[in-house]
Amino acid sequence: MPPLLELTDIKTYYGNIQALKGISLSVAPGEVVCLIGSNGAGKTTTLRTIQGLIRPREGTMTYDGKDLVTMEADEIVKAGVSQSPEGRLVFPRMTVRENLEMGAYSRSDKVGIQADMEKILDLFPRLRERLTQKAGTLSGGEQQMLAMGRAMMSRPRLLLLDEPSMGLAPMLVEQIFRTILDINQQGTTVLLVEQNARMALAISDRGYVLQTGRIVLEDTGSNLLNSELVRKAYLGEH
Amino acid sequence: MTHPVKVGVGIGIVAAVVVLLFGGWSAILAGIVAGAAAALVTEGQSIRDRSATLRNGVISGAIVGVFILIAEIVNDILVLPLAGKDPVFPPFTLGPISIPYNMFVAGLAGLVLALAIGALTGWINSLPDKNRRLGLAILLLTFLALYPALDAAAGLGWIEQMISIMIFVVLALGLNIVVGYAGLLDLGYAAFFAIGAYATGLLLSPHLCNQSGFNCEFYQQEWSFWLVIWIAAAIVACFGLLLGAPTLPLTGDYLAIVTLGFGEIVPVVFRNLTTVTLTLPFTGICIAGCIKPLNVTAGEQGINPIARPWVPVVGSFQTGEYIPWYVLILAIIALSIFFINRLRYSRLGRAWSAMREDELAASSMGINLVNTKLMAFAMGATIAGLAGVFYASYITAIFPSVFDFTVSVIILAMVILGGVGNMTGVIVGGLIILLSDRVLLPQLATLLKDTLNTTVVPHVESPAVKDFLTVSVDPTQWRIFLFGLTLVVVMLVRPQGLIPNVRRAAEMHPDEDTWDLPLSIQQADAATQVRSVDRETTID
Repeated sequence: MPPLLELTDIKTYYGNIQALKGISLSVAPGEVVCLIGSNGAGKTTTLRTIQGLIRPREGTMTYDGKDLVTMEADEIVKAGVSQSPEGRLVFPRMTVRENLEMGAYSRSDKVGIQADMEKILDLFPRLRERLTQKAGTLSGGEQQMLAMGRAMMSRPRLLLLDEPSMGLAPMLVEQIFRTILDINQQGTTVLLVEQNARMALAISDRGYVLQTGRIVLEDTGSNLLNSELVRKAYLGEH
Repeated sequence: MTHPVKVGVGIGIVAAVVVLLFGGWSAILAGIVAGAAAALVTEGQSIRDRSATLRNGVISGAIVGVFILIAEIVNDILVLPLAGKDPVFPPFTLGPISIPYNMFVAGLAGLVLALAIGALTGWINSLPDKNRRLGLAILLLTFLALYPALDAAAGLGWIEQMISIMIFVVLALGLNIVVGYAGLLDLGYAAFFAIGAYATGLLLSPHLCNQSGFNCEFYQQEWSFWLVIWIAAAIVACFGLLLGAPTLPLTGDYLAIVTLGFGEIVPVVFRNLTTVTLTLPFTGICIAGCIKPLNVTAGEQGINPIARPWVPVVGSFQTGEYIPWYVLILAIIALSIFFINRLRYSRLGRAWSAMREDELAASSMGINLVNTKLMAFAMGATIAGLAGVFYASYITAIFPSVFDFTVSVIILAMVILGGVGNMTGVIVGGLIILLSDRVLLPQLATLLKDTLNTTVVPHVESPAVKDFLTVSVDPTQWRIFLFGLTLVVVMLVRPQGLIPNVRRAAEMHPDEDTWDLPLSIQQADAATQVRSVDRETTID
């Protein structure tokens, strides 16, 4: 099967600082793929580059056969790539409902949006209870669910999740990862960026290990879990 | 401050100041406006409780009325005699009615009106939501329709100032799109006002046309104003895009400085476009101003005369006949409000609020930040353009010095003092600031001068003190000082503005969820407050 997303030798800079030093990765339709790595490895930068929020200086990116490098962020969202940004960037002064509606900004089919809203509220029953509440007053876990739900509202084929477990209580982390699997089983391809390597690898079909802007390892999720490097560097085992 | 007695006293004091300064039949207008205002402000205390809203309206209206009555009497027996004037006013003449002036009659009329309007507004407030809106709209429209007649009958002559004030209200509404909805701080908004006015000046006066050698009949046509208003608005919208484009990569302070620069450049350009020759680049073919350089904007001399609007029956609008102008500017305000309201709840409006809250998140939602920002500038500029067209035609002459930085600052102050992002706030705040500046302050100055000259100065021995009192005590010269003082005080006491936008207010006070908002909103907030305590924690 041709990959849904393919990055070849992507190099991204912040000013003069090179954040990505040639990233090549691919995501096949229906997969859950995770990027793990320490702080500053370039995980978030990779996602932002895919989303069109930062332009790569070199390299090629294709999504569904289309050239991503030349597409604007809003066109990329329309094409079916959606992101739940790092740090749960919800719109704090908007209600939960308004946040979800913002997620459907790129769509215009009112009926479909309503139906998807229902689906997402079924997926995150917590959000249904808080529909008219301002997003800024939600707890961390609820904000994370909202950010994911909002990303789902654009009905993406490829969902980019940036650190969905960051700052969450262990019980909640488990719940979030279970939901990611649910979303994937309903047909959405997921590219996941995580610091919580154990959990992320456990649910992923394949994984990439990033170190200082380069991919140093690539394998199936279970193989990576057992690999020497990952166990030492990211799982804290000896 | 929603208790009816407190509100009555607060608004009563304001109304009393107006009546103290003007005396005469001003009590009638003060009674109507203050009575309605008092009833509206008390509304929050008793949401949809019929008897309580009505009672609050009556109580606050009555208190306001008492203040007006007392002020009227004090004006007659103290203020005017001190200023060396006889408390004599022409009769109140409205159609066949003609009431000779008497301080008790005027004061009591003010009291009764304040009470009646307070009660009426209170009653309307108690209606179910849909009827309530309709009732308030009818009340407002009736007042606006009667205002010119009342103003004339009471012999106040405020309508002339009201029209120039309403030009600023339109400008404030337009700037509110850029600053309030899109969150882009624009310090050079007067530039768009200027471009609108100059576009009108060039199209509707013989100035440019006479130099071109073309047939110069367009500006003399009866319908030309109604065409030019749209052309000018479109031109200004284009300039909004043009001036917005370079600011795209900028946010916050940097954006503000760039817009400040544009605000400075535009009047300078208009001041200096006096000898223009246009040649095509490279070819050297001359397009305009070939024989004699074109004098496009006439520099400091300005452009005049500018043609006026014409409508059937009324004919051409005249200087000094204020009612047609009043109706026209009201129509422009109504059009702007309608247009802005539609925008606000459109996709574009939602994109603006998302962008204001978080640009990165907005961008991830598929919002095109470039278009969204440019549209904010263009829409804001269009409204300023409408104001510019009206202004040019109303004054019939335009000069570059009218559009300097202080204009941008005053408009911005109207928006911020009234309540960023809230149209009602911007309109009410703007009216209060400019009415104080243009109506109350001059009257205060005249009264003070007369009082000093007749009562104080004759008893002063020292020539130096005498000189100081006659020359330096002039409140109109303190207006910039008073304006600055108002800004400082309001920002300290009420940074969210007089009538804040709920969402914007929350941005200004992240940790404080209750102030003088209508109770319904406070209750909604109270429900969420318990949760907001553990906002930063992760326990679920």
